[in-house]
Amino acid sequence: MTFHPEILCPFCGLGCGDIGIDQDDSGIAPRPSGCPQADRLFRRPMGVATDARMAGTPVPVDQAVAEAARLLGSARAPQIAGLAADVEGVLAALTLAARIGATVDHERSDALFRNLAVLRRFGWSVTTLAELRNRCDLVLVVGPDPAAAFPRLWERWVAPAPAFVPGGDRSVVFLGGEPLPETVQCLAGQIETQGMEADPQPDLATLVTRLRTALAGRTASNDARMAELAARLRAARYAVVVWAAGLFEGPQPDLIVEALVRLVRTVDGTTRCAGLPLSGADNLIGANQACTWRTGFPLRTGFEAGAPSHDPDRFAWRTRLRDADVTLWISAFRPEVPEFGTSGSVIMLAPPETAITPEPALFIPVGTPGIDHAGDVFRADSVVALHAGALIDRGLPSVADVIGRMLVALEQSAETQEAAGC
Amino acid sequence: MLTKLAGGRLFDPANGRHGEVADLWLRDDRITADPGPGATPDATYDLTGKVVMAGAIDIHSHIAGGKVNLARLLMGEEHEHHRFAGSPCGCGGGSGLATPSTHTTGARYIEMGFTAAFEPAMLGSNARHAHMEMGDIPYIDTGGYLVLGSDDFLLDLIATNAGQAAINDYVAWMLTATQSLAVKVVNPGGINAFKFNARTLDLDEPGPYYGVTPRTVLTVLARAVYELGLPHPLHVHGCNLGVPGNVATTLDTIQAASGLPMHMTHIQFHSYDNEGDRKFSSGAAALAEAVNRTPTLSVDIGQVMFGQTVTASADTMAQRHTAPLAHPRKWLAMDIECDAGCGVVPFRYRDNSYVNALQWAIGLELFLLLDDPWRVFLTTDHPNGAPFTFYPELIRLLMDRDYRLAKLAEIHPDAPAHTTLGSITREYTLAEIAVMTRAAPSRILGLADRGHLAPGASADVTVYTDRPDRRAMFERPDLVFKSGRLVVRDGTLVAMAQGCTHVVRPGFDDLIERRIARHFDERLGLPIKHFRIRDEEIRHGAGPILHPCRRREVP
Repeated sequence: MTFHPEILCPFCGLGCGDIGIDQDDSGIAPRPSGCPQADRLFRRPMGVATDARMAGTPVPVDQAVAEAARLLGSARAPQIAGLAADVEGVLAALTLAARIGATVDHERSDALFRNLAVLRRFGWSVTTLAELRNRCDLVLVVGPDPAAAFPRLWERWVAPAPAFVPGGDRSVVFLGGEPLPETVQCLAGQIETQGMEADPQPDLATLVTRLRTALAGRTASNDARMAELAARLRAARYAVVVWAAGLFEGPQPDLIVEALVRLVRTVDGTTRCAGLPLSGADNLIGANQACTWRTGFPLRTGFEAGAPSHDPDRFAWRTRLRDADVTLWISAFRPEVPEFGTSGSVIMLAPPETAITPEPALFIPVGTPGIDHAGDVFRADSVVALHAGALIDRGLPSVADVIGRMLVALEQSAETQEAAGC
Repeated sequence: MLTKLAGGRLFDPANGRHGEVADLWLRDDRITADPGPGATPDATYDLTGKVVMAGAIDIHSHIAGGKVNLARLLMGEEHEHHRFAGSPCGCGGGSGLATPSTHTTGARYIEMGFTAAFEPAMLGSNARHAHMEMGDIPYIDTGGYLVLGSDDFLLDLIATNAGQAAINDYVAWMLTATQSLAVKVVNPGGINAFKFNARTLDLDEPGPYYGVTPRTVLTVLARAVYELGLPHPLHVHGCNLGVPGNVATTLDTIQAASGLPMHMTHIQFHSYDNEGDRKFSSGAAALAEAVNRTPTLSVDIGQVMFGQTVTASADTMAQRHTAPLAHPRKWLAMDIECDAGCGVVPFRYRDNSYVNALQWAIGLELFLLLDDPWRVFLTTDHPNGAPFTFYPELIRLLMDRDYRLAKLAEIHPDAPAHTTLGSITREYTLAEIAVMTRAAPSRILGLADRGHLAPGASADVTVYTDRPDRRAMFERPDLVFKSGRLVVRDGTLVAMAQGCTHVVRPGFDDLIERRIARHFDERLGLPIKHFRIRDEEIRHGAGPILHPCRRREVP
């Protein structure tokens, strides 16, 4: 038995660096971390199938790579989706996409695009997790509790006393959302809720509008609680407005995000106030960063005659499934794939223990960054990139390895065709 | 592979050559001595009449990292309108002008004969990202200057009188952990003060929480950089950027260095006086005079050129003042990790705006009034003053007085009266351009084997046709070699090459690590080991190139 302390967790996007992992001949298992995602996803058996599968039949990886290259090389409208990989893997996928004219998107990009839509048309004023932890005296949580997606958010970034707040006091106000029981337990007496009392199913957009109206000093006389919240925002030294846009429901969630950014700007005019838009499991943020630096555009970008072309609607992976003839699905972090239907062929790169129905045309097992091989992932606040190390060797290649081999195969077939005068 | 570049005119000021005709030999990735009459080159280029220089080096260009990527996202319209397909040589295309994507950045630089560009504002908390991005820029060498001076850890060291030795250890530890080449200070203490809601902070004003003045931050960092013996002096983005009358602060900042070496960056933005009806005039003459008589100072200009660009800076305080002028009207700001921040504000400089026209004139005035080309560097503070692709136009303005006067006649009619530009007759020579863009940058950064053409130097070579139109000449070199490989011919990419990442590693007393580790545990919520960037993370395992530091005592 070997114990690995302070292991970096690449899964939800909070970048916790304190996971303890036990390793023995049967595999690895985490010590209880307080996070259901880490506790589940760090549990991996040693003995796994390293063969690829073609229509369900085991084949050597080389053969599967050659077949994948053939399918992708002859595709008319390919897409690369899932895109859950370390930065190296994402960059390899982008090189492949440029080569074959594929679009790229991440499985979980809906939340990101709600935020990006606002960034791109309006801008934003935001902060990072360590600023939240040390400087913030008033946390305003808008919408459902982000801990549903980021389990240790409160424990690690809000429960510790803020270093730069005199007296160390801070309040956490939930607007239009209920704190989860774990959150209540973690933050004890710091929590208040707002907007839940009148309507058990509050319309978030309306609540945010009421708060902005109060900030503008035009509150209806019966909205004293909103006026009080507005006054507290104005009186706070450094308020942070936290939201997880992926959890917003209702039409046009980006308009709620825009209202929040405008709200932040109003308060920030006189005291300090910043937003903290959270999105980013499975290196979603890293995939978007890499796509942006490589192409100049965020995810949902394709290539027309070699030049990048971005369309946040048409190139969303679910929309794209309708006309993609080949889908290369990448899911390196967790042995899970969402259900989706397509009339095209599916090539899947995922951990070997992944259960998939229906069986894809090709399945190539890959390792998980931070478990089978080292890899870089970005934290959900988009600034901090972290290098997750390797823990075990199960003979599983990385996404970058597999795609690199596909690119070599594509190159070879291009040369053969050239030689044959095709 | 042996290559002979025959009969060109060598402009190699580091080795005292100012246009002498000579053969130049490249063996593999290095310049080599003439191998003698028996040698048969694998390739020979007849360069009779051509101008031969080392690859150019840009010492200050925001090419990578979080703020650059945010700027790309904000500048969606620009990217939409400027999309590029990859080239058959393997360069991946991309998009953008003011915020080009990685491959586009490398391509645009190498097409102009630049073989290195340095990211001058790398935040420690964002360093891994910046390195990943720099590693994805083909063709050119890179490196990052670490931003310090508003980080809570440093301000706490100063406020608790931890002493210069502890500060030196911290600076050295951070440089090592983040794989940096130099230290940059941005609005010393000001970014931190802004987090406590201070909207301005003058040179001698105590900051709101630690009670430390920008002058103190500046001097302890300048001393740390000097004592650690870093090749590059402290790279200073001073207080009050863009504020009318700030030339007074800039002159005070020169005094604050009290004889310690200092590099003052984008001084055009710090050279404003407040004379005249509009309370905005040029302070270039006074500043140039002060720089000329202070041999420990070097500067780069941050020239403004007219057109659409975007400003991206760690100086959140200054960017908040600029935000209302955003064009298009959108901007973003970030407070970052008890470290620093960033602000991104799109901007369009107009020649018919009095202020913008004067900014343009002030930059040129500075270039022309500063008499030592070894201490002044060609920058637009890309993309803040203009995209780096404006360098050929800027070189023409410096080398061609008639052209300059013609342009001066086109700007806002009230601006010329408030600068001395019209009366300056100086024209830069080719030798001076070679100093400013090759020899001097390599010397000020400590890159011993870059920026010159002596045997042993990296075979980074640019060949130009000597045209009277200097813009045309510098826009489109005939040949560019990177590490001995011909990568550009007649302005077109013909092969792929990868550059290197340059770093320093001055050494430190590792006792400091205990205090830093506590800061990471208690404030940053991350075990310190996850912060350090390992050599194998640099350029996909290639690792960095180390440059020596020589410890010194302040006299």
